[in-house]
Amino acid sequence: MVKNTIFGLLVLVMVACSGSQDQSTTTLDNQKILPYPIQQKTMNNGLNVVVVEYPSPGLASFQIIMRVGARDEVEAGKTGFAHFFEHMMFRGTDKYSSDEYSAALKSIGAAANANTWLDRTVYHMTGNATMLDKMFEVEADRFMHLNYSLHDFKTEAGAVKGEYTKNNANPYQKLNEKTVEVAFNEHTYGHTTMGYWEDVVDMPNQYKYSLQFFDRFYRPEYATILVVGDVNFDEVYSLANTYFGAWKKGDFESDIPVEPKQKEVRYAHVQMDGFPPFLELNYKSPAYNDTSMEVAALDIISTILFSERSELYKKLVLNEQKVRSLNGGFLFTRDPYLYSISSSVVDEAEMAYVKSEIDKAIEKIKTEPIDEDLLAQTKSKLKYSAIMGMDSPSAIADDLAFFIWVSDDAESLNRMYAAYDKVSAEGLMQAANNCFIPSQLTISTISSKKEGGLK
Amino acid sequence: MKISFKLLLLFTLLLVSSNAFSEVDVVELKKDGSSKLVVKVRFNNGSITDPPGKEGLTALTASLMMEGGTNEYTKAQINDLIYPMAAKYSSHTDKEVSTFTFSYPKAFSSEFYPILIGLLLHPSFEESDFNRLKSNTLNYLSQVIRASSDEEFSKKALEEMLFQNTPYSHMVAGTVNGIEAITLEDVKGHYQQFFIKNNVSFGIAGDFSKQYVHQLKNDLEGLSGVKIEIAEMPKIAMSNGIHVKIIEKKDALGSAIFAGYPIDITRANDQFAALMIANSWLGEHRKSYSRLYQKIRETRSMNYGDYTYIEWYHNGGRNQLPPSGVPRMSNYFSIWIRPVQIASQLKEQYSELSEITIGHAHFALRLAIREMDLLVQDGMDEQEFEKTKQFLRSYIKLYIQTPAKELGFLMDSRFYGRQDYIAELDVLLENTTLEQVNEAMRTYIQTKNMNVMIVTDDSEAELLAESLRKNKTSKMSYAKQLKAELPEDVLIEDAMVEKYPLNVTSVEVISSEVPFLK
Repeated sequence: MVKNTIFGLLVLVMVACSGSQDQSTTTLDNQKILPYPIQQKTMNNGLNVVVVEYPSPGLASFQIIMRVGARDEVEAGKTGFAHFFEHMMFRGTDKYSSDEYSAALKSIGAAANANTWLDRTVYHMTGNATMLDKMFEVEADRFMHLNYSLHDFKTEAGAVKGEYTKNNANPYQKLNEKTVEVAFNEHTYGHTTMGYWEDVVDMPNQYKYSLQFFDRFYRPEYATILVVGDVNFDEVYSLANTYFGAWKKGDFESDIPVEPKQKEVRYAHVQMDGFPPFLELNYKSPAYNDTSMEVAALDIISTILFSERSELYKKLVLNEQKVRSLNGGFLFTRDPYLYSISSSVVDEAEMAYVKSEIDKAIEKIKTEPIDEDLLAQTKSKLKYSAIMGMDSPSAIADDLAFFIWVSDDAESLNRMYAAYDKVSAEGLMQAANNCFIPSQLTISTISSKKEGGLK
Repeated sequence: MKISFKLLLLFTLLLVSSNAFSEVDVVELKKDGSSKLVVKVRFNNGSITDPPGKEGLTALTASLMMEGGTNEYTKAQINDLIYPMAAKYSSHTDKEVSTFTFSYPKAFSSEFYPILIGLLLHPSFEESDFNRLKSNTLNYLSQVIRASSDEEFSKKALEEMLFQNTPYSHMVAGTVNGIEAITLEDVKGHYQQFFIKNNVSFGIAGDFSKQYVHQLKNDLEGLSGVKIEIAEMPKIAMSNGIHVKIIEKKDALGSAIFAGYPIDITRANDQFAALMIANSWLGEHRKSYSRLYQKIRETRSMNYGDYTYIEWYHNGGRNQLPPSGVPRMSNYFSIWIRPVQIASQLKEQYSELSEITIGHAHFALRLAIREMDLLVQDGMDEQEFEKTKQFLRSYIKLYIQTPAKELGFLMDSRFYGRQDYIAELDVLLENTTLEQVNEAMRTYIQTKNMNVMIVTDDSEAELLAESLRKNKTSKMSYAKQLKAELPEDVLIEDAMVEKYPLNVTSVEVISSEVPFLK
């Protein structure tokens, strides 16, 4: 899953690919990964506007990326608030009540929604490009003039509790909640985006705080407007100025605690009968960076170690059949997070063995240089995954959004791909040694046993 | 400039053609300049062709074809070969079709082709791959489906109940007993019998040559030549009254509800467009502006969302837009009420609710059913009708944003005897009148007979059953702080909802171990 998400970041290459593999790879090497220009300009109030003109007749994807997420929830009792606030953004303004906003969305005929994660909150709609003016109008209105009643606030808290309730049926969600709590003592990555249950239950009482939250974060310097599709930059920039020009800049900055270095193995466990045993090894991953090579190298390592081509997959899944699934990788985040290797294990008595095999594979990549052919093939796979992955305005917008929230610069996507090309076998070993540090491991398990833990 | 020209080509040269005279039906979606090829190979078999006692055989056969090797390569060798290509392929079996989807860069069209053909025509069916997939399927049926998502659990269990005693009843993945009984020989035999040139078709999207299509068509002629006739589905019987089953679980935080009854209409029928408008207004999937969502979530804060459907919607928890590959001739109307609060959770949060014994499930079900009754009784008003129609005419175009999705919908079109469902639907929607919508509702929407499946916590399963069985008043239990500011009309409506009579004729509480066994 993690692995797939990382591949999902890759974008469309529109180059003439024909003939043999070698020719194609060479052609790819010399191109920017996204062949459409990323046009961007920051308005006077700090709002950045990013446009990719993409030939999807009549169709455009419109996103507002707010660089505020669970990471910003630094105050006790306020976990899950960025996500809750995303819900409140649909609760209306003086101009458009909640019902009228819904009716306006319906009139646009778009697929529209929002979601929140560690580093950001994204509001998106894909629909008729000729309705762009209306999209700007309704979005600017709520981002600048959100106005909900105390009653609406309390009502929406029930929906958020309902969301937690539906998610809670999933044991992996429970384990994830415990894992991050154990892995982070100080940093806000120690709670999930949904927040702690007790904070979710207390949300109806946080109306005043919600006003403060809006005042702090829903400001142009936290926002990027991204439009991909059948549009042109001048038109979009002009609409942004018309509708968002009066948005006032703020001055709040979250004081995110720094996570102290982990010095001992930690454990998270969910006891569950009648559920497949699950093992996850979580190392600390580096913060996103498109210049140091470390992030690019680790991404390549994930593909080499845990894809279906890997030796480990062939051994544990295909030959020995001790594991049902194997995944490994990390997500790009603003601060150091987790590099997770997970497997659904057939027999819980084999968990220690599975861990020892994963440990061996990690040790090998730390100490033995990777074969050059395999490295070249992996780079090819990453690039062709990009070609395959993106063929619609919303898919391109989703990928660009990722780079906007981790780096505040959509162009980082092209830089990341340039970085993949430069990774060497030596660089892989170095990245592996920096990441896979035994004392910085959190071992997470689901099994029928009362307590988890593996050596 | 060079790129611009190519892009122009890519999006302007689009050709959809069908060769109705060949033995193998082909859908071609030409996207000149595209660097990716998508091939979908479809067999009209599906889980309805599973032999009794071997439920799950079609899906297992299809997945073993894709998860194993060929006469030339082992699975591990294929993994090596396709690694630098980033090629992907998978199988998806539904009730009536199995679809194999292959995506690969055009640059590797020649290199990948033998693998594609090998997997379809010469699957190796190794014992070890069979054992692995059989074990994974059993694991899914006996553990994962019961313990991962109460919503998906209730949805699949509802189908088992609604279609009982028909080939539609069992889950596509099978039943525990069915999978346990399947041998590798069964798989090989099923492949020869049901993955055949007599029921295959394929679609291709991208920048392909005529020769490429021709070769694929010719090679598929190498499939088994067995001729089969798949028995027509028996008409699905309407239940007599509302039958409820409650699955009790330990430590469920809420009550997940799915309800439904068979309807005799599909995309093949022009009236489907009219019913689609009514359904969109009542409960469009994952949309805040539909009626049920507004009433249950927005106004009363009871859960995360509430929707209705007039055909199967695959993996609704994840998909925001409907996927292709699940065409069916037997549809049912369904209501999805996402988990609502149980009594113990409400009591824990609000001391003023300390006396309640059941949570919101009974009230929510009543509210949804009452809204359906009101819709049929009052009809849609002209303004809502026009807005919903315009919304759908724009929205359905988002179903086919990528070539792969467009191809999938074109292939589904053929299943229903249409050429291009989305384009035809747009015209049908445009021409639909309000009277036709109201007529469709009167024909297809009713609330007297249906099946209801609820997954809930064991602390209130029996109490909820009793409440439903006796049509007890299900008072809406608001937190004090919420109720204080509720508009008067909501409270008046609540008073009507809480006593709204449901035609419940049976209620049964079952353990979570019961569904999907045989």
